[in-house]
Amino acid sequence: MTAMRRARVMAGVYRQYWRINLLTTLEYRENFLVWFAFTFVYHGSAIAALWIVLNRFPSMNGWTFRDMAFLYGLWMLAHALHNTLFSTVGDIPDHIRDGEFDRLLVRPLDTLFQAIATPGQVFPDELILALVTFGVATWFSGVHVGLVFVVFVPLIVLGGALIDLAFNLFISTVAFWFVRVDALRWIVIQLEQEFTRYPISIYSRGVRLILTFAIPFAFMNYFPARYFLHKAHEGAALPPAVGLLTPAIGVVAVALAYVFWRFGLNRYSGVGH
Amino acid sequence: MTAAGPAGARRPAFRIEPYVQFAQKAMAREATYRFDVFTNVASVLVRVYLLRMVWVALYARNAAPSELPLHAIITYSAVALLMGLVMDIDQTRLLHDKLHDGSIATDFMKPIIVPLYLFADGGGEVLFHAALIVPSLLLALFIVHIDVPGPFVLAVFFLSCVLGYFVGFFVNFIVNMIAFWTLEIHAARLIVTWITDLFGGEIIPLVIFPPLLQTIAFALPFAAMFSTPLLIYVGVVKPDRYLEVIGLQVLWLAVLAAVAAVMWRAGARRVVVQGG
Repeated sequence: MTAMRRARVMAGVYRQYWRINLLTTLEYRENFLVWFAFTFVYHGSAIAALWIVLNRFPSMNGWTFRDMAFLYGLWMLAHALHNTLFSTVGDIPDHIRDGEFDRLLVRPLDTLFQAIATPGQVFPDELILALVTFGVATWFSGVHVGLVFVVFVPLIVLGGALIDLAFNLFISTVAFWFVRVDALRWIVIQLEQEFTRYPISIYSRGVRLILTFAIPFAFMNYFPARYFLHKAHEGAALPPAVGLLTPAIGVVAVALAYVFWRFGLNRYSGVGH
Repeated sequence: MTAAGPAGARRPAFRIEPYVQFAQKAMAREATYRFDVFTNVASVLVRVYLLRMVWVALYARNAAPSELPLHAIITYSAVALLMGLVMDIDQTRLLHDKLHDGSIATDFMKPIIVPLYLFADGGGEVLFHAALIVPSLLLALFIVHIDVPGPFVLAVFFLSCVLGYFVGFFVNFIVNMIAFWTLEIHAARLIVTWITDLFGGEIIPLVIFPPLLQTIAFALPFAAMFSTPLLIYVGVVKPDRYLEVIGLQVLWLAVLAAVAAVMWRAGARRVVVQGG
């Protein structure tokens, strides 16, 4: 009964969160346009760089530009979904530093939920751009859009977004102990950006193992893309179907990050305001 | 800009010491962020490794371009990343912060030349990060082999690097000065960063761009920042073209400095008109 009531309250709060986000975006239109231009240039220059390189060198370990476009589109979609739903988790260290976070602790709703639903200027522009890019990349790469694709791609994208969330939450939790975590976040963002761009088969064994089991960025796009593009000969140690495990990996990663979050939250005693 | 003339009763003669102090203060400030130092070096090393693997994979399955054999392109990437430690610093970011919180007004009242103050503050940061090149280079040598050209080429490379650095300085200064008019320029700054990365030849040498894009890229000022010194270093630009490419860098430097000067005058007047 109370669970039902609480769910209804949370749904109401969440609706308000999006209402405020959209109104803020409408209020600061120029600002929004400049940020959208940035999103466009950011992904555009990444895809342009891939195209330039693969125009000169048509094959990267057997992957062509068409394959790489699908690889990028898949990552972009998962990443954009994360940025749209959970980017606010990355603001937690700022809230801890300026004391705002302590206010969330005394309110009668889950702390993490409140942190996620702290309004800012979030707008699903990157997600829309990512959907278009992914659609074009799928058509361009000639991936067969069958039942498996339709059922699994949304789950894989969600799983990829959860992998992103797990790292975001993990880094924000570290802020309970070390207030400044910008540098750590920067490292992880950069690692993710670099190591999701190319098929991981180009790396040495050790790096491949890390990207598979320790920091599973390879599940955001490489393994699913390998499955859909039928590049089974690669990384032969794992069967192609592991590419469909992304949703499970995402859930496990977030569960681990959440346990760590609860652990940190229970020990948190403010930064001394 | 030595405005200390006969009317210099209220304007003291130019002295360099305050600016040296500003630079030293900035260096000390940077040194307190030890974790950031570690991050910077670590990130360079990861990218050196990554680019090496990327080029190895690409050269393994395709015909290599004759002017850039594998060892040359790996050298190019490693040197580019080490240069990035200094080049990627936004030396005049302080201007944006000061415009935002309004403290620029008091700076205009102080007996200092404000652009030079910004330059000195950023200069401390740059010198501090330049020192990081040494440990980064030593660690990078564990990951890749870096070719070293002869002393003459090396000397021209350093000259070209200095020119490239100042081109980059003025590009950033111009972007930061947009804040005189719009205040929020974070996104604009990031856009310029990504365009510089691509068209400056920091990640991909411009010589492997397709012909049309190559023509465009070489015609933009960003090429003067990374591409020119790097192509000199790996020997794609031969000594008979040194005068031409260095001359182009000087030209860009002059053009951007002129644009920056005009913008500064207009921007500074705005601050005064608005009443600070």
